[in-house]
Amino acid sequence: MVDDPRVGEGFTRRRVLGTASLLPLAALLPELLAASRAEAAAGSPYRFFTSHQAAVIDAATRRIAPGPEDDLLEAGHPGAHECDVVRYIDTLLSAFDHRVPKLFAGGPWSNRHTKGVNHMKTFVKPDRAQAQAWRKRIKELQRTYRNGVTALDAHAKGDFTKASALQQDRILASSGIAAFTSLLFGHTIEGMYSNPEYGGNKGLAGWKEIGFPGDIQPRGYTTHELQAPEISIIDPTGIVAEVLASFPQIAQAYASGVWRG
Amino acid sequence: MRKAVIAGSGAGASVMALTLAEAGWHVVLLEKGPNYFTGLGEHWPPKTVFSNDNLKANRCFEQPDPDAYPRTFRTSAGQKKGYYVGGVNELPVAVGGGTIHYGAAMPRFWDIDFKQHSMLGPVDGADVADWPFEYADLAPLYDHLERAIGVQGDMSAMPHDPVLKHAPRSRDYPMKSGPQKRASILVSSGARTLGLHPYPFPSAINSEPYNGRPQCNNCGFCNAYGCPTGARGSALDILHRALLTGRVELRPETMVHRVEMKGRRATGLRWVDQHGRRGVEHGDIVILAASGIESARLALMSRLPDPHHRIGKRLMFHYFTSGFGVFLDQRLHAYKSWGAETACMEDFADPDFLGARAFAKAQGLPYIRGGLCEMGGSEDVIPEAQFYQYILGAIQPQQPFGRAFKELMRTSLLRDRLMGIQMLGHDLPYLSNNVTLDPKVRDRHGFPVSRITYAPGKHENVAQEFYIPLITAVMLASGATAAAAVPANTPLMGAGGVIPATRHILGGMQMGTRANTSVVDEWGRMHHTDNVYVADGGVFATSGASNPTLTIMAVVLRMARRLAGTA
Repeated sequence: MVDDPRVGEGFTRRRVLGTASLLPLAALLPELLAASRAEAAAGSPYRFFTSHQAAVIDAATRRIAPGPEDDLLEAGHPGAHECDVVRYIDTLLSAFDHRVPKLFAGGPWSNRHTKGVNHMKTFVKPDRAQAQAWRKRIKELQRTYRNGVTALDAHAKGDFTKASALQQDRILASSGIAAFTSLLFGHTIEGMYSNPEYGGNKGLAGWKEIGFPGDIQPRGYTTHELQAPEISIIDPTGIVAEVLASFPQIAQAYASGVWRG
Repeated sequence: MRKAVIAGSGAGASVMALTLAEAGWHVVLLEKGPNYFTGLGEHWPPKTVFSNDNLKANRCFEQPDPDAYPRTFRTSAGQKKGYYVGGVNELPVAVGGGTIHYGAAMPRFWDIDFKQHSMLGPVDGADVADWPFEYADLAPLYDHLERAIGVQGDMSAMPHDPVLKHAPRSRDYPMKSGPQKRASILVSSGARTLGLHPYPFPSAINSEPYNGRPQCNNCGFCNAYGCPTGARGSALDILHRALLTGRVELRPETMVHRVEMKGRRATGLRWVDQHGRRGVEHGDIVILAASGIESARLALMSRLPDPHHRIGKRLMFHYFTSGFGVFLDQRLHAYKSWGAETACMEDFADPDFLGARAFAKAQGLPYIRGGLCEMGGSEDVIPEAQFYQYILGAIQPQQPFGRAFKELMRTSLLRDRLMGIQMLGHDLPYLSNNVTLDPKVRDRHGFPVSRITYAPGKHENVAQEFYIPLITAVMLASGATAAAAVPANTPLMGAGGVIPATRHILGGMQMGTRANTSVVDEWGRMHHTDNVYVADGGVFATSGASNPTLTIMAVVLRMARRLAGTA
């Protein structure tokens, strides 16, 4: 056994460092890791993404949820870029860079519609089981994002951000990229419609766009607001008409829950 | 002083703890999950970190993270391939259990639920049984708990037939019912034009200040969310009082994994905490109150005596049938609400509903029962968007994203224009629907996880077939432009079995008088032990046809008073 150099080395090192001296090191680990990543992302305003990675994700999510700059017909309608979806994803991927990981925003409310302290800004410490699960999950996501950006660039023969909108759409819909596009779509949704404490939904643009007030405590809604009729007539065209045309099948898919992934 | 050690801290555990502590017992509650309520047992209402936060809920803030605590699922014991590993119909893992994010619906079960075998008869292929007591035994306990937790309702608005006929009340609710929201008003009026009997949903949500907690201000983040204001009544009302006795200890982040036995006697519960520390909490009696699935798992992991192989059997979930009504002329803003739905309707739970017997007979069944309908619900924003992502993949796979997605979000057919009906269908008990230990998959501590085997039977499918057109008719009568009702448990082509997500976890540790056909006796004691008790939804002999929390608490209160000598 002693002949095995790996065993000998490990044993010696452990003896030299000692258990006690390992503890402060372990405590510093998130900061150290963050620092080394910050070095890799030098010049990037993001914690996880390099400037290029951020630009690729921005370009891709603009295709998923286009805003006024991305589609003329979306004039006046903020999309992924306006909601700062890239910041949301970066916040998720670097959640463990913080002493209390940015996974669970606090409570009981933000006071967004009222005056007072924003309690949601103070994140809640995950318990051990949660921290363990999320560490693993985020590590996998980091790898998926690195590889995803590389793959998007490869499909664009160099730089995804330089491809035309039409090419970008084709790449994102192509079978080789579909799994990453689907993940990106899920995170675009979260980045547009989650509470802004998570890094996205900038200026509440995502909620305003769909007429949703979002977190409303401690204001709540009055009885009148509960009951008021809100006339809003639509003449369905395009995708909305298609959904209505196959409504029973749509309802069946919805109720089955398969889409929850 | 006698001492009880309890696994869990939810609906059943809290009632057991308070009742025993008030009778002078020392009680230790071991809860697997964290405590999100600062000051519980000191000041009231406790401070909470729950908020109007859809993302936090989706990230398993209070739900067991499937990576740490997975379960497995299959539709039959014969299914050899395609096992699902992940979340399966889980309740929160946190102090307060399911009640920290339940919809707080508090209907009562009916007389026929407790005497289903003798009043409705047997059903071929099912294991229909009576409970060892009847509705009249629970009625005063229901009264007591509606006051202890704070339930709003309106007895004068409840129909005699079928509701009060089957669940008679001697007194009204302690709080008047709150204002009906728009979607519930519309769907109720539609139902009434068809001769049905919707009424304000009895709910443990404050319509006025009650129990030292504030009136609900209708934020709408209710079902599946922790209440930010404390307006929702829950197991915490009971737990707080239990802690105030000074004889109750609550230990969060401590998972029980074994009942320590010496012959027929349990000596304590063996636990492991978040930091990997292990130990045994000794007591005179032990109580499993970790939910239907987890209590069965604990009994199986402990190899508790089970000569007739009844532990884990007869799992019941309530099959859901979902109705979707869409309005093209108005937005319903269903999210502005106390509770998920402010109205309910129990007509479809009645085996004697017009035409139901004849339909059942034609299909070779003695009867069919649908269940309580929750009237006027909708969906949250993030899941709504996730579903549009899914349908874009199906409708326009050549470009499953882009402007179409944003059009769907703006139009909001399936949220802001949606009026939902959710029917909680009565599940018959089948021996083939059960909990066993998974032979391979382990949780983060290395213990075998629960393997759920479940599929709806003939009764459930026939009942849905009967009620689906009626649910659709209600929505059209309410003014919906498009409507569809569908089973929530039928797998899509090629998608395999659908994972149940009803959060109504009943059976598995069935209560009954005979030791060879049930697990616990009428007082919750496991037949083949001297002092192991079960105090959660696991003991249900039938599933009823409505939300079960109040009945879980009432059944446990009955056991607890007997144990405490205060019955």
